[in-house]
Amino acid sequence: MFAYYLRLAWLSIRQSYGLSLLMVLAIGLGIGAAMTTVTVNYLMSANPIPTKSEQLFYVQLDNWDPHEPANDNGDPPDQLTYRDSTALWAANKAFRQVVQAQMTAVLEPEGKDSLPFQVSGRANSADFFAMFEVPFLFGGSWDRSADESMQQVVVLSQSLNDRLFGGRDSVGEKVKLAGDYYQVVGVIANWQPRPRFYDITTGAFNEVEEVFVPFSLISQQKISRNGNTNCWKPSGEGYEAFLNSECVWTQFWVELRNEQEKQDYLTFLNAYVSEQKKLGRFERPVNNRLSDVMQWMENQQVVAQDASLMMVMSLMFLLVCLLNTIGLLLAKFLSKAPQIGLRQALGASRQDLFTQYLTEAGCIGIAGGLLGLVFAWLGLQGVQALYGDEMKGLAELDLAMVGLAMLLALVSSLLAGLYPTWRACTVQPSQQLKSQ
Amino acid sequence: MFELGPIFRALLRQKVGAILIALQIALTLSIMVNAIFMMQQRSSQMARPSGLDEANLFYLSNTVFGQNYNHEAALADDLRLIRGIPGVVNATQINAIPLSGGGWSMGLQHKAGEGENSIGVAVYMVDDHGINTLGLELIAGENFQLTDIEWRPATSVSWPARAIVSQAMAESLYPGAYQSALGKTVYINQNEAVQISGIVKTLQAPWNGWDGVERSMLVPFQMETRNSRYIIRTEPGRRDELMPIIEKALAESDKNRIIRNVTSLEDTREDSYRSHNALNKILLLVIVILTLITAFGIVGLAMFSINRRRRQIGTRRALGATQLQVMRYFMLENFLISTLGVVIGAIAAVGLNIWLVSKFELAPLEPQLLVVGVLALYLVGQLAVFYPARKAAAISPATATRSV
Amino acid sequence: MLLMKQLGKVFHTGEVSTHALREVDLEVQEGDFVSVTGPSGSGKTTFLNIAGLLEVASSGLFLLDGENVNQQSDSQRSKMRNQKIGFIFQSFNLIPELNLFDNVDVPLRYRGFDAKERKRRIEQQLELVGLASRMKHLPSQLSGGQQQRVAIARALATSPRFLLADEPTGNLDSQMAQSVMALLEDINRQGTTIIMVTHDHGLAQRAKRQILIKDGRVSELTATLHEPLHIVSPSATEHSAKVAGV
Repeated sequence: MFAYYLRLAWLSIRQSYGLSLLMVLAIGLGIGAAMTTVTVNYLMSANPIPTKSEQLFYVQLDNWDPHEPANDNGDPPDQLTYRDSTALWAANKAFRQVVQAQMTAVLEPEGKDSLPFQVSGRANSADFFAMFEVPFLFGGSWDRSADESMQQVVVLSQSLNDRLFGGRDSVGEKVKLAGDYYQVVGVIANWQPRPRFYDITTGAFNEVEEVFVPFSLISQQKISRNGNTNCWKPSGEGYEAFLNSECVWTQFWVELRNEQEKQDYLTFLNAYVSEQKKLGRFERPVNNRLSDVMQWMENQQVVAQDASLMMVMSLMFLLVCLLNTIGLLLAKFLSKAPQIGLRQALGASRQDLFTQYLTEAGCIGIAGGLLGLVFAWLGLQGVQALYGDEMKGLAELDLAMVGLAMLLALVSSLLAGLYPTWRACTVQPSQQLKSQ
Repeated sequence: MFELGPIFRALLRQKVGAILIALQIALTLSIMVNAIFMMQQRSSQMARPSGLDEANLFYLSNTVFGQNYNHEAALADDLRLIRGIPGVVNATQINAIPLSGGGWSMGLQHKAGEGENSIGVAVYMVDDHGINTLGLELIAGENFQLTDIEWRPATSVSWPARAIVSQAMAESLYPGAYQSALGKTVYINQNEAVQISGIVKTLQAPWNGWDGVERSMLVPFQMETRNSRYIIRTEPGRRDELMPIIEKALAESDKNRIIRNVTSLEDTREDSYRSHNALNKILLLVIVILTLITAFGIVGLAMFSINRRRRQIGTRRALGATQLQVMRYFMLENFLISTLGVVIGAIAAVGLNIWLVSKFELAPLEPQLLVVGVLALYLVGQLAVFYPARKAAAISPATATRSV
Repeated sequence: MLLMKQLGKVFHTGEVSTHALREVDLEVQEGDFVSVTGPSGSGKTTFLNIAGLLEVASSGLFLLDGENVNQQSDSQRSKMRNQKIGFIFQSFNLIPELNLFDNVDVPLRYRGFDAKERKRRIEQQLELVGLASRMKHLPSQLSGGQQQRVAIARALATSPRFLLADEPTGNLDSQMAQSVMALLEDINRQGTTIIMVTHDHGLAQRAKRQILIKDGRVSELTATLHEPLHIVSPSATEHSAKVAGV
């Protein structure tokens, strides 16, 4: 019987193709717009490390100006001072911990013809790779002792390894970075968490860096850091003074496997801050924070406001398209009243008719959904073109989104079809059969 | 026939269709008005002048990797080289590029000491060629002299004795009397005295989303840094031709560095406002499509209702209604539905705006815009119903006597 | 097979109540051919609607094949219409977007026959009315008489025992009207009970029984006695192709 309804739907759609096209177009545009913005929001708000996003915590301490909070909402500063993060790292109280900052350096490849070029980099302690589940192609991480003894070791990205070594296993080779030689200990396989959660402060959707070196080298001024720096009071003359200043520019993550470890770590942080207060630092009330990955993404408003704004607008747009479809379906179904009366006379029950017309509505919905996918794809291409690199990797349809689009189209068209169908089925047969 | 009463009573009998159209109009109005409002706001942000001679400016990054490098001598050589190239108006080293999104900010305060109120200001470090290179308009005081320029080592935290501020910064320091800022001493980095030696009309900070974007200052510094930027002003029309020439000249003059990111300020502006531009284009598209969909919805429903009422219309025609009166009936019917729609829509638009303001840091709606939106939707409704109404008017009076 | 006792139908519109039928007593035997006449607005259509289970009477008793129809649910009545009743209308009421085959197919679908059985019945019925060769045509490509013959084929496809015709010749010229009437008479001869509403007194007189509805009351015009009928079960004997020459 369902096949019969499908055929009836097809005949009916064909009979009033202009109107049907209008409905399919309306649903298609609505779904397309909604899917475009939902996809962008979905990718922006994706969990970049679902396996352990609840065990990784971003650490914030409040060393800010006693006269003025770091943020208007009372949140502590977004980063830590060098002296605090290195102290927390040295204390080694968490299951794993990483201290890190963004850096940049000039890389001078071997060979006369090769020109030096600038690479993006990260100075981080050893646990970075294990904590953030960084996949390795060759070799692996350096270990804590390399941090402690400031060894000049480096982990390369796959693309940089391709460029420098033609993709072969380069572990043990040397590269000249910022004028010094570094030994390659590992090569990362392609890895691009979105959002790039481990450092939001320099752009949540930036590319993963090309080189990784031990954080401790920063103290030797071997490498130049280039992330954000915020100071609330003068740091004093010279690099040593800067490292000991109240300027925040490092990030500190810990891995805590359960609630107990989290509580213990908070206790430790409180003790640390109390200790520092005795030295005349941390004049503000204790305001230590441990935010897990998703909390931190939320706190840092990783989902751009424009993206959420567009999503609100597009969902309202979809609503208009659905109202349009309801109106047109209603008109169409009511114009079929004589046929509905006839079918009832010929033995169709209300349920038969309900199924028949809902099938028709569903067919229009599916057609609209398919068209919507095309529009969504076009929309995402448009978003890519309009926003450029900002949207790289954030405007791609995946299978889940395609499924959601179809489901949204079907559900919304069935909902839109419900009232017109109900109206159609309450037609009084006797009034429709008399010639008009 | 052209009385509203009968039309209104007829509408009541098929209220669902009318309500659906009215709701569509209402939603369209509320989206449209808010979208146009957002577009206006973004456009006015984009229209703010940076104060720079943007069309003729470009900049580049100079990254030094050689060891034991004499930064001071190299900078002097580079600037001499660039300024000597025909077609170049002027050039300076600078620490940050307006509109680029990356830069330095400091606080200026009237009194020295910790805990004093300070006003955030973007800092541009330039030499005595800075004002001419950027194309700024000096409205009070004087430019830096060669003797004012200090050499700033990489880890230095001290500040020079003089600074030039933007008019907006001067106004913030001395509300209502920006001119009085000239010659005054303020404090930077809490304790260091700086005398304001000049005021420029406009110079935007590097961050276009910052509420203090108009507050900036120039300080006479040349910096020791492994990553420095040169900004270069060319004679009108010669920028694109000179960009590769200067890049090559610099790269060849010294092999211990990389010249990269050669970028025009116009590109930087485009980049800076890319999301604004994108949002505006998307919103415009949304408004157009939305209006079209609503219009087609009105056409579709009107066609249906006319088809259903063919006999009735024929009868009216047989009873003496003119074609114009039939058309007027449907136009008036649409007018009534539109009225319902825009009333709901106006309320919804304000409601949506209040919600958006609370959620997304938008400004409240201007009422004139609402009026324009209401008129626009009335117009759309009347235009949309025009074709079906003409069809209705063309129905033959003979329809009345024919059984369909 | 059809029994109405003290049947009444009242329509309420606002504060006005209209008695469309009053105290109707009627019995129709298996194999009858009853014509119904009466002035406009007399209640003919209401009578037919109630007889065809399209409307429910307000009062009284209505038995169809011994079943009390007034107490049935909507879907039970749908089922009964499908199995026992065939309809023919003045304006044919063919579905414009369906071809002849699909139009005749409609009641068979609701009956739930398999594809083979449906095909057999459709072809047989269209053959019977002489339109088998035009199976794939749309109704708009046929003349009025042809359309009405398709409607008759559709009405008979489910082998109903009871055929209700509402002005079946009202939209046809007299020659076509004659041929449709002859077809109905043939069908009746095969054992199908027919109730036909008509304006045409000539046609009405060709029925075995004539009743008049006036002001909602039914009165018998033919005092003729019921001839004892040779009862044929219509489900046992299908309408044969013999009558196809209409």
